[in-house]
Amino acid sequence: MELSEAIKLAIHSLRVNTLRSLLTMLGIIIGISSVIIISSAGQSTVAYITNELNSFGTNFFQINPGNDIMSTFSGGGEPLTTEDVEAIKNANLSNVKSVAAFNVTSRIVSTKDESLRGTIYGMTPEAQELLKPDMIYGELFTNEDVNNRVAIIGTEVADKLYGKDTDPVGESIKIGDVRFSVIGVSKSGGTLFGSFFNTAVNIPLNTLTTQFTGKDEIIEIDVEVNDISLMQETMDEVEWVLRNHRKIPDDQESDFRAISFTGAMDTFNTITNLLTLFITGISAISLIVGGVGVMNIMLVSVTERTKEIGLLKAIGAKRKDILSEFLLESSVMTTFGGLIGIFIGVVVTYVISKIVGIPLVISVPWIFIATMISASVGIVFGIYPARKAARLHPIDALRFE
Amino acid sequence: MISTKAPLINLQGVTKKYPTGKDDYYQALNGIDLVVKKGEFVAITGPSGSGKSTLMHILGALDTPTEGIYIFKGKEIESFNEDQLADIRNKEIGFVFQFFNLLPRTTVFKNVERPMLYAGIPADERKKRVMNSLESVGIADKVNNLSNHISGGQIQRVAIARALIMNPSIILADEPTGNLDSKATQEIMNILLSLNKQGKTIIIITHEEELAVFASRKIKIVDGKIVSDILLKNKNHGA
Repeated sequence: MELSEAIKLAIHSLRVNTLRSLLTMLGIIIGISSVIIISSAGQSTVAYITNELNSFGTNFFQINPGNDIMSTFSGGGEPLTTEDVEAIKNANLSNVKSVAAFNVTSRIVSTKDESLRGTIYGMTPEAQELLKPDMIYGELFTNEDVNNRVAIIGTEVADKLYGKDTDPVGESIKIGDVRFSVIGVSKSGGTLFGSFFNTAVNIPLNTLTTQFTGKDEIIEIDVEVNDISLMQETMDEVEWVLRNHRKIPDDQESDFRAISFTGAMDTFNTITNLLTLFITGISAISLIVGGVGVMNIMLVSVTERTKEIGLLKAIGAKRKDILSEFLLESSVMTTFGGLIGIFIGVVVTYVISKIVGIPLVISVPWIFIATMISASVGIVFGIYPARKAARLHPIDALRFE
Repeated sequence: MISTKAPLINLQGVTKKYPTGKDDYYQALNGIDLVVKKGEFVAITGPSGSGKSTLMHILGALDTPTEGIYIFKGKEIESFNEDQLADIRNKEIGFVFQFFNLLPRTTVFKNVERPMLYAGIPADERKKRVMNSLESVGIADKVNNLSNHISGGQIQRVAIARALIMNPSIILADEPTGNLDSKATQEIMNILLSLNKQGKTIIIITHEEELAVFASRKIKIVDGKIVSDILLKNKNHGA
């Protein structure tokens, strides 16, 4: 019999018992949809976090003062200085592309009419290059501006001080008691790390030191690398340079910390992938349960249709005709169940992504895999009932009561 | 070897035993010798349990003899494997049963078409043949009806249409009117009679002696043996 005819017969048989076919498919539908939901949710999360980390930058590592997280954030330990920055630059390490530096303070930011308490970042031009803020108006400051009183304000700051959709470039602004000129408005690319650029006022590092803090102090040095794969080696080299420069004896720990996001992202990816694989494995169990359901119903069907099988054999059906008819029935059923499962999986993933606010990433390989799996479930669990049907003796089948 | 001169059916000393226990068996047929020529209309009668259904199963290649030889169109078929027997059933024999003749919840068209699917006949040809066959038994208007939405007499007509679809050498009907009222019985027997007049070989199995009057030859079986084999007068006695 032609395959197309055999598939038509299989679909016809399934339609004769629509409700039963649908209920049998349910196990496969649940199994496949959960595989799709879990794998897509996993991929969506990975893609989202990766995107956020990338927007923040994975091509650099940061150096903070203090040798543990507590002292880094409490400002404990010996502070970093512009001399440390120069030491790294002067070491001319081959994988170091640029060295950026920051400091931060807090001041009242005001215009004639409005004022707010703002976080003031002092940064080197390299830091701007590294963080790549989206400029709404104006431009970044250049090497010539490093001692000037120029400011790039975040979108939220601009909205509060000047009103929405107003270009404040060229306006003057007071930070503390010092008058600055607004040269740009920027916003952050990502959102995971807060609205760093949106809520801040960024000025040149030197200006911050001379006008406000009065001390050569740096809260963070960012070292941009050429080759991410050599990140750890470069981190070790820079640590060695800094230890030398800061004259730290060999038997003492460093009084600063170097951290890269590449390592964090690798760990994150590993954990997410393991978790996704684990939960997908659990959903796969429901596919096996679904497959057993299919086998059960196919066995019932073979018993119910024994006389029919006898009749088909009487009119010339060979073993392989009966085998393929039942096998196609089970695999058409599971494939169709799989397709419904994929559809439900995609819809549910879409709804979840809308609710959680993470961009939807449908796992295309998993859709192919799921279709293959569902068809195979039909074949694997349908083979025994189909063989049983095909091997029936025509007389026994015709006489079956 | 297929020989056109050989009889259609030639049974020599055919027995059929069914095991009923470890060293025990039930003997349904006991040394049947039977020759059926092309164009004959044979009625095989006998009381229930006489072995007539077993004989029909062997004639129809649904089963094989325990002992003896079955030569169909010059070919010894007891050595055939399952697929070869299926092929014989598909191309050479048209069955009409008493019960469960049609696939449930399936249209008349699909029922009649089915043997041609197994023979790999193209769709256009199938459609043409189904319509011709249904017209020949006067039921072409029911082509799209479901098998469970037609009467008993109509079911048997559809079964005959299906039996004819592969243009077989022989029509084997097992109690074809067992379920029907007298009017429908008459109609079905008339169809079979007219097919026989067109040259089709027909064998019917029946316990109703009165149906034998339609046949050209009446064979009676009792306890697995042929007890009488009578040629009826003024009938077609085959080639």
